[in-house]
Amino acid sequence: MKKTFNEQRTALLKVCSEKTFRILKLTNLLLLVAVFNVFGSKTSQNAGSNPDTKDVPILAETNFNLQQKQITGKVIGADNAPIPGVSVIVKGTTLGTLTDNNGNFSISIPQDARTLSFSFIGMNRVEVEIGNKTVFNIIMEETSIGLDEVVVIGYGTQKKVNLTGAVSAVRIDETITSRSLSNVSSGLSGLLPGIAVMQNSGMAGADNVSLLIRGLGTVNNANPLVVVDGMPDVDINRINMNDIENISILKDATSAAIYGSRAANGVILITTKTGKGEKVKINILRTQSIDYPVNALQFIADYPRALTLHQRASLVSTYRDQLLFKDGTIDQWMALGMIDPLRYPNTDWWDIIMRNGRTNNTNISASGSNDRSNFYISAGIMDQKGLQIENDFVRYNARINYDYKIRDHMNVGIRVGGNWSKWVRQYELGFVGEPGQTSALDMQYAIAGITPYDPERDLYGGVMAYNEDPQAFNPYATYKLSPNHYNRQEVNPSIYWDWTPVKGLTGRIDYTLNYYNQFYWNASIPAVAYNFQTDSYGSRTYVGSNAGVSNTTTTGYKTQLSGRLNYNVIIKSNHEIGAMIVYSQEYWYGRSQGSSRSDRLHPSLTEIDAALTEVVSASGSSSEEGMVSYIGRLNYTAYGRYLLEANFRYDGSSKFLDPHQFGFFPSVSLGWIFTNENFLSSITSSFLNSGKLRFSYGGLGNNSGVGRYQQKETLSSSAYIINKAIVRGFVNQQMINPNLTWESTYVTNVGLDLAFLNKRLVTELDYYDRFTIDMLRPSEMSIHLTGAYTAPRQNIGELRNRGVEGNFTWRESRGNLNYRISLNASYNRNKLEKWNEYLGRGTTFIGMPLDFVYMYEDIGIAQTWQDVYDATPQGASPGDILRLDLNGDGRITGEDMKAFPQYNTDRPTANFGLNSTVSWKGIDVTVFFQGTAGRRNTWLNIYNNVNFSAQRYASTWDHWNEPWSVENRDGSWPRLSGSNNRNTQSFWMDDLSYLRLKNMQLGYRMPEKILSKVGISSIRIFITGENLMTYTKYRGIDPEKYLHESDAYPLVKSFSFGINVEI
Amino acid sequence: MEKIILKIFTVIALAILTLIPGSCKKDILNLEPTTELGAAAFWKTEADANTAIMGAYASVRNCFFDDYMWDGIGEYQRTRGNQSSSSAYFGAGFNPEGSLGSHDNFYRQLYGAVHRANYVIENIKLKMLPGASATSRASLEEIIGEARFIRGMVYHRLIAMYGDVPYIGRIIYDNSEVADIERLPIGQVKDSIIADFTYAVEKLPATARGLGRVSKPAALAFRGKTQLYWASWNNFGWPELDGFTPSQPEAQAAYAAAAADFKSVIEDFGLTLFRNGEPGEIDALGKAEILPNYFYLFIPTANGDPEVLFAFSQGATGTNQSEQIMRHVGGRSHEGSQLWVHPRYEIVDRYQSTITGDFVDPLIPMNPSSNPAARTTLGSAVNPQSYADRDYRMKGTIMWDYEMSIGLASLKSTGWVPFIYKTWASLVTIDGVKYMSYNDGGGNNSGIVYRKFLRNYPGDGRSAGDYMFPLMRLPDVYLMYAEATNELNGPQADAVELIDKIRHRGNLPPLTVEKYSTKETFFEAIEQERIIELIGEGHRGFDIRRWRALERVWTPPNSEGIWRIDSHGGQRQRYFHYSTERDYELNYIFRIPPAERDRNPNLTQNRPWL
Repeated sequence: MKKTFNEQRTALLKVCSEKTFRILKLTNLLLLVAVFNVFGSKTSQNAGSNPDTKDVPILAETNFNLQQKQITGKVIGADNAPIPGVSVIVKGTTLGTLTDNNGNFSISIPQDARTLSFSFIGMNRVEVEIGNKTVFNIIMEETSIGLDEVVVIGYGTQKKVNLTGAVSAVRIDETITSRSLSNVSSGLSGLLPGIAVMQNSGMAGADNVSLLIRGLGTVNNANPLVVVDGMPDVDINRINMNDIENISILKDATSAAIYGSRAANGVILITTKTGKGEKVKINILRTQSIDYPVNALQFIADYPRALTLHQRASLVSTYRDQLLFKDGTIDQWMALGMIDPLRYPNTDWWDIIMRNGRTNNTNISASGSNDRSNFYISAGIMDQKGLQIENDFVRYNARINYDYKIRDHMNVGIRVGGNWSKWVRQYELGFVGEPGQTSALDMQYAIAGITPYDPERDLYGGVMAYNEDPQAFNPYATYKLSPNHYNRQEVNPSIYWDWTPVKGLTGRIDYTLNYYNQFYWNASIPAVAYNFQTDSYGSRTYVGSNAGVSNTTTTGYKTQLSGRLNYNVIIKSNHEIGAMIVYSQEYWYGRSQGSSRSDRLHPSLTEIDAALTEVVSASGSSSEEGMVSYIGRLNYTAYGRYLLEANFRYDGSSKFLDPHQFGFFPSVSLGWIFTNENFLSSITSSFLNSGKLRFSYGGLGNNSGVGRYQQKETLSSSAYIINKAIVRGFVNQQMINPNLTWESTYVTNVGLDLAFLNKRLVTELDYYDRFTIDMLRPSEMSIHLTGAYTAPRQNIGELRNRGVEGNFTWRESRGNLNYRISLNASYNRNKLEKWNEYLGRGTTFIGMPLDFVYMYEDIGIAQTWQDVYDATPQGASPGDILRLDLNGDGRITGEDMKAFPQYNTDRPTANFGLNSTVSWKGIDVTVFFQGTAGRRNTWLNIYNNVNFSAQRYASTWDHWNEPWSVENRDGSWPRLSGSNNRNTQSFWMDDLSYLRLKNMQLGYRMPEKILSKVGISSIRIFITGENLMTYTKYRGIDPEKYLHESDAYPLVKSFSFGINVEI
Repeated sequence: MEKIILKIFTVIALAILTLIPGSCKKDILNLEPTTELGAAAFWKTEADANTAIMGAYASVRNCFFDDYMWDGIGEYQRTRGNQSSSSAYFGAGFNPEGSLGSHDNFYRQLYGAVHRANYVIENIKLKMLPGASATSRASLEEIIGEARFIRGMVYHRLIAMYGDVPYIGRIIYDNSEVADIERLPIGQVKDSIIADFTYAVEKLPATARGLGRVSKPAALAFRGKTQLYWASWNNFGWPELDGFTPSQPEAQAAYAAAAADFKSVIEDFGLTLFRNGEPGEIDALGKAEILPNYFYLFIPTANGDPEVLFAFSQGATGTNQSEQIMRHVGGRSHEGSQLWVHPRYEIVDRYQSTITGDFVDPLIPMNPSSNPAARTTLGSAVNPQSYADRDYRMKGTIMWDYEMSIGLASLKSTGWVPFIYKTWASLVTIDGVKYMSYNDGGGNNSGIVYRKFLRNYPGDGRSAGDYMFPLMRLPDVYLMYAEATNELNGPQADAVELIDKIRHRGNLPPLTVEKYSTKETFFEAIEQERIIELIGEGHRGFDIRRWRALERVWTPPNSEGIWRIDSHGGQRQRYFHYSTERDYELNYIFRIPPAERDRNPNLTQNRPWL
């Protein structure tokens, strides 16, 4: 693996070498000509009436204007420091230069040149009219969203300075796109305050990232709504990170209320790129990474030792002569294992089924604009080989964004994003199935005494030791023989047309479609376990000889049609008023069709028709949903310092019954830019550049707690057999709650935005109180009903989330040195305030947070019988964990469990991210830490079972070293085969807080002096690392993941190398 | 100016155009389900009534089709677990001792079944009967009869488990109607059960309208069974059930009513035993080409035989209406089955000699790995020869060492598989032929496995069986009739004749006179036949409890208890080990689900479980 990596790196470096520059330049020219032939000619056709535009290729223009003039100038930053390396280009030509170390430049330009364009990565592009001037002093400001930026909000944009809601926004820049990220959601981790990102697996194609904005707001689906270019319900993880211009997170009622019934858990707004600047930019990005597991299970790859552990565990309750595994078996294996690995294997499974993963990202894009149109076009490939064998994911992305001004006051535009992926995997969670499935438990049965595979004879090994359970697991066979294949295509086009007939009034119509199609197939290859000792097939059939094929096609679409009217007016120069109304209708449709047949004609054939027709099954279904919304917004800004915003949304959903179909979600917010007040600015201006106080309150909804047809009175099929023939039958199992209504969340938000010291320090602070009422839950029905009826949904409880979040950014430039440190942190607590039904003891309880830690307290491992006698009777022996009799009633019962409301089992209460970037001349370094606190849970899974099964257990080295015994009294585990040692008790409770070096990046931008000669704007090469170090006390696989008993797929630690070329 | 007004007007007009909902879709706020039937479209024709009762049958069967599980609460079967996750049995324990508190799911599913029946009964009564013609009236009443039969059967099970239970006799529309429901005394529930069965007896035809539906004799037999249980509780008492006072007159009347119902089933419908009750042929020890008739009664080819008075029907591969019996009784060698249940070693000595018609000397458990003579010593439990000349039902029911069955994999036969205890999936050579031994994966701990219910032909997977598990068989009716008449008047000639008929299918000689000389000895003979004939059918545990025989068949309280052993002489599990009187009480009555009691304080608990 290392070798190929080096080879690749050398190859890439070669590409950059002088020799190949010429080729690149040629390609560059050809590409430019091709692109301009398309767009240039189009422009001229449509703009034919404009006498200024000549039907001449722009490239040629420079060659014909030989009359030159000399201009000079200096470029400085906001702090008056000169900026070297700024590219100065005559707009519309390739003519340009760079500023020197003192920020000075000098260039000869054609007499008729009109505009100079100054650009530098990380700075806002500056364009100035040339006119008759010959000396230019330019001040450039950094990009990154400052207070003067415009941020994307629902159905529009707004100046950050005028925002009254809680919105966090980030521009996706190269420090993010250079990272080896397989999806957008993991890229959000630690980036912004108030959003908690938990990556649950390192599996290729299924990182299982969960996103939570401001804590868990509801017992229902608490995922935020994702809106891409105005279209809700796009899968965030199938978007190409490189296509994204910026991401806004709407956190409070006033910013999110515009999305009404679906915004209770916050909204993530994603805007894709559009072309900017007349010079068409071509950007090529390639990264290649090698992926390693962050952590791993430590199975004992020594079968005699594992059998010895079985003996030790059994001897607790069995006579030596009754042992399943005999000493002879163990001795024989120990001796022959050294010379005959085929018949006496000691398989290191983790080594067999794991590999070094790799992720390759290749992306190419072109973008540009002129005064009538702009375009952005891109294509990308992400090719991921997972850490697990037979776990691969490839995704192809393409996008075209195009806007055209068809009349002076009329625009049309289209955005088309598409993706195509191929995914291969075994189980849902990679190594194991979902909890609750039997496949979830298999990994613990991967004993070392199985030969994975004999390539010579194409045989998959099974158990061989005397008395071993024939159902022991050969993961290699399972992963190799029956992988699942998912091929998915999505296309997401949207078009709009807007018209501004009079100044301030704009009408706009949008239509978007999101279509998906997924084809699943599985065609397992027959194999029977082989016993190499007896040279015969064993009894376990890995895949039966009648292996068939199964297919499922799921397809569907979502459409949205919306019409919008905007009106903006400024009255008497101090009163800015904006108003908007929107009507929108959304419609979802999905269907699936599946079929399968047994007995494939040949293992190499994988289509349904290539199987016999005797055992056949088929299925098919569809479902639909509709929503109608009326939306309104009013903005009022007075004297540049008093801000008012009011929003409402009125949503009707087909999920609810008539009188409760519509939900109304209003919000209002106020802002005060107090630094604009004269009486304050005189005091504050010396240190405070700007300050704003925000307040908002409003309602949001959530309809995810009820299914599409859950409120319909229906009869379900319950077929019966009469005279051996199937006959139709119906049963009534749906009970309806006619009073069911929307779940709503009321959010109060108070925020303070401050910028100090020449805006070098920018802080944003928010406090919020989210109060969710009418939470939708399946009601708890009497046991006398649940055997027949599914409980209807009910509006059941009230949950309050309170939290604070802060974002602090310090940025400064000193000479060539630019650096930025930003810290974001958030803290959230929730409390269940009301529950309309009986609640028994458990982790849902009134007055407590959801999922608080609730378990027995232990008083350590009993060392002697005296310890056992001294404790409350609980059936313990020395070596067992003793539990505390909390209520002192002389018995250990459920009533002795203790609540730890300060800890949460599933989610951290605090999240933080620390991101720092330093750049010096062409070199930039980014270090990004991310961490969480406040989460605790028991470390109990199938791999650290002290009461493991009598056969087929894949024990770990901890089983060998840690269990308590008379010889090992300091062992950190209780004894093997003890009693009550696997309860959820504080003995096993681990702190899941962690601090993680999430990303480190080192980039180098080649000097533009060299590059400009070959017509390349910039080349940046970089190396990055992900998940490089983790500090945690947690003993399991990873503290970031959702815990489950069979957790096995580690997160990925990756090292990557990349190059980004802009032409 | 006019131009501007015109422009404004146009943009507003365009906006209004898009604001009109439903321009290109039907009413998107009113969408109908696509795969389920809207309730409004139902209950229009007589066919709908038929469809409804089909739905009820299909849904209710999951409370009955795994009844072999129940034998785990008796002495002769070990039930390790249940894999039918949607069935009532799932999650429950089935042990001789200490598991009657684990059937909350069963309780839930039984009430689910009650609603299925009520839904049919009430809808036909209210929506169909009032406007029905005379002919359709009769047929609708027949369907009500079927639904009431189902309801009776369900409540019979409920009272047999819990004693007093809440009675729900109508459709429930909202949780509040049952949220504070109370238990009804057992006597009143019993009266409702009898009323349901009586309606069914009156309305149902002598022959069912189709295989898988209920007939008049089935309703009679079930009514008799409820009477017999009621008689037993009155006769032997049920002290764990508060408020229940046994009454001898009640017992006598109920025995008489039961006997009358059984007599009618036996005499009025011309019903005969499977293959006329003939024993059939039997193969040599260690061979299974020819198996006795008894074996064939318990594989799907016997579906629909008149001996079986009632069974829910099942569909094989591809119907989604299958049972999973093979998955539970078979080993991995049989389509990857899991051996969740197996007979206990102690049943072996219960099989009588075809020569003497009486018990033989108990076999001697021997361990062949430590005792080289174990396989050859006569009378050794691991010497196949020790099993010669026994009741034919032994070969039809169990497999001991070196008995063969057909291995199955991937819906095909893999040839003969010998069962050899503690030797799973090993290569063995028997008479020069190589076999792979029966793979129980170590799950067996008695030394014997079931042959009963294990299909001997390929074609269906372990969870795709179509065997109609019998809920009432004619021999059971014979035995219950014998029991009722014996309790009333001591041994009766016709009862003895019926027992001999049953014994004949095991190729056993008729009972000798001393076996029916007294009420007590005849009871023993009846009990013996119930054990052998009905093993694996879920009766034994309930019989022991209604006879109050736990102390008799196990040991009295505060004694050492009894070990269950295996054919190698190993002690496997000990039951009633110094169990107190209260422990016994816990084994005589089931526990009302405590989670429901937390919500509903009106729901009382059975005393031992308090």
